[in-house]
Amino acid sequence: MNEITTSEFVRSLLAVLLGGGGVYLMLPKGVSGISPRRGFGAGSAAFALALLISATFWSPPGAGLSRAFFVLFGLTSIASGTLMITARDPVHSALWFAAVVLSTAGLFLIAGAQFLAAGTVIVYAGAIIVTFLFVIMLAQMEGKASYDRSARAPGRSVLSCFLLMWALAYALISMRSDARATVEGGSARLLADERILIPTPSITRVGNSPPQSGLSEVLRRASRPTAQLPERSNPAGPHVAGLGATLFADHLIAVELAGGLLFIALVGAIAIATPKPPIRPVVRVASPPANAPRL
Amino acid sequence: MWAIIGIVLKIGVVVGLMQGTVAYLILVERKVAAYAQDRIGPNRAGRHLTLPFGIKINLPFGLLQPIADGAKMVLKEDVVPTYVDKPLYILAPMIAIIAATLGFAVVPFGPVGPGQVMQFQIAPGVDIGIVYVFAIGSLAVYGVVLAGYASNNKYSFLGGLRSSAQLISYEVPLGMSILGMVLLAGSLDLGKIMAWQDQHVWGIVAQPIGFLLFLVSGFAETNRLPFDLPESEQELVGGFHTEYSAMKFGMFFLGEYMHVITVSYLTVILFLGGWDFPGLSVEQTGLLSAILKVLVTAGKVSFMIFLIMWIRWTLPRFRYDQLMDLAWKSLVPLALVNLVATAGIIQLIRG
Repeated sequence: MNEITTSEFVRSLLAVLLGGGGVYLMLPKGVSGISPRRGFGAGSAAFALALLISATFWSPPGAGLSRAFFVLFGLTSIASGTLMITARDPVHSALWFAAVVLSTAGLFLIAGAQFLAAGTVIVYAGAIIVTFLFVIMLAQMEGKASYDRSARAPGRSVLSCFLLMWALAYALISMRSDARATVEGGSARLLADERILIPTPSITRVGNSPPQSGLSEVLRRASRPTAQLPERSNPAGPHVAGLGATLFADHLIAVELAGGLLFIALVGAIAIATPKPPIRPVVRVASPPANAPRL
Repeated sequence: MWAIIGIVLKIGVVVGLMQGTVAYLILVERKVAAYAQDRIGPNRAGRHLTLPFGIKINLPFGLLQPIADGAKMVLKEDVVPTYVDKPLYILAPMIAIIAATLGFAVVPFGPVGPGQVMQFQIAPGVDIGIVYVFAIGSLAVYGVVLAGYASNNKYSFLGGLRSSAQLISYEVPLGMSILGMVLLAGSLDLGKIMAWQDQHVWGIVAQPIGFLLFLVSGFAETNRLPFDLPESEQELVGGFHTEYSAMKFGMFFLGEYMHVITVSYLTVILFLGGWDFPGLSVEQTGLLSAILKVLVTAGKVSFMIFLIMWIRWTLPRFRYDQLMDLAWKSLVPLALVNLVATAGIIQLIRG
């Protein structure tokens, strides 16, 4: 692994420090959750600066429009993420979350993962965040509570998160210089060990030819250790088919386990949600006859 | 460079056409409503018109009514109550109309595919076609929910809550109802689904249950009667758009009608064969056949829109619990059965 240069080190340190300080200033503090407007302004300025510095590390794919859209979606997603945790109103937070999901979906689209992009939008923006909004709006019928409006232990959380962020940035930057070195060396592979790459025989049917391999092939691929990554196959057909083949062959066990887990959770949710008879049944008092004298 | 200009031009034409169509759909809706109630409907605007140079004409059916309606929308006072959450209040109608417009990006208006004279689609060759439409469609709920929340009004709020529950519930059967067609055609690409129907049979024959489920869930997604609980006038004064006036209200209206057009297009493409008609086939790539195909699609879509308006005046509104029962206890199990049966039959025939 290559060493990162001094300039890269200084830039990443500056970005992390400015970003952390900015987010700390922006977070709603105090019982009322109202921090001085000046603090929010200074914090957002520091964060914007950190964002610009970190943007110097980016290597947008392609050229022209896709590059412009990459920068746009990248900046939007990070900025919306910050606004999501610093917003005072939970409903606004949920909306910024939706903005994060949408810009991430845009990044997926640029990377060519159409199905993942659409799936992210449907599942997160279309279902989960709408459910969040539903719950928040139901819970907030009588004004906003103070614990909704202020951050809990903002200093400590910002410190731990940005330490983690720094570690991640360090790893990514050194990986990036590593990858650059390999590209110059003639190989574009990020995976250093060639031995774990094994060719994957296709189990998707092409045309009307009979499947080259049946159940045994699926089982073989499913029971392979996860460490042995299949070689990235070049999708011949629509890549939704390729995605399905990967999910239901290479990751069959994981998919089935996740499905089973969700099913159990569903059964549990229904068991909790159905109304039960009360432990102490309410004794129904017979109503007095209509002509009884009123006391 | 020219490709980008071409795409921008296409977007402009489609959006402009859609806005114009929506304006006239409102007139059609009023006419259909009038005939359903044994009235005449708007018939004045356009009568005794004096053009420049003293030419006098008589336009029938109140054909200039949309212009009058549009002018009214724009010129009315735009009231913003003081107690609303202002950024969200302004954002909500924008989301409604943007989400409704974005869905058209992958809807094929005519023939698409390699070798055609022109791709009648803004973004041709999107593998996931129909999934994209659903993704954008699932964003439309934000407009209604935010309008309900931002208005800071009990009636609006109830409308927003109802809408979020309704749209999430009906997305499930909507998504599952098309899976049968996707399995048969072997693609999510709308152009390929139409090509499959041209070579085999229309989707309504191959997937009658899927068609029914799609139609019902599509109705629910457009928020129209009998599923217009978010705005039911009698209980909620107008629901989520109670506090909206002038063009902001108009934007919700436009969004709703654009949804009607999208749902009609999808129904036609998925189940009524798209451009398929006796005498037209995938192999024809000439200009004449392309125009014919666009016209055939537009004709079928017009019929679907008329059907949707007709049903509005035929069925009464659901009660809220009936609405939820219909989605979760009838449509979802039916869609699952349909999906499993289709998959089984395909496996038996092809395997």
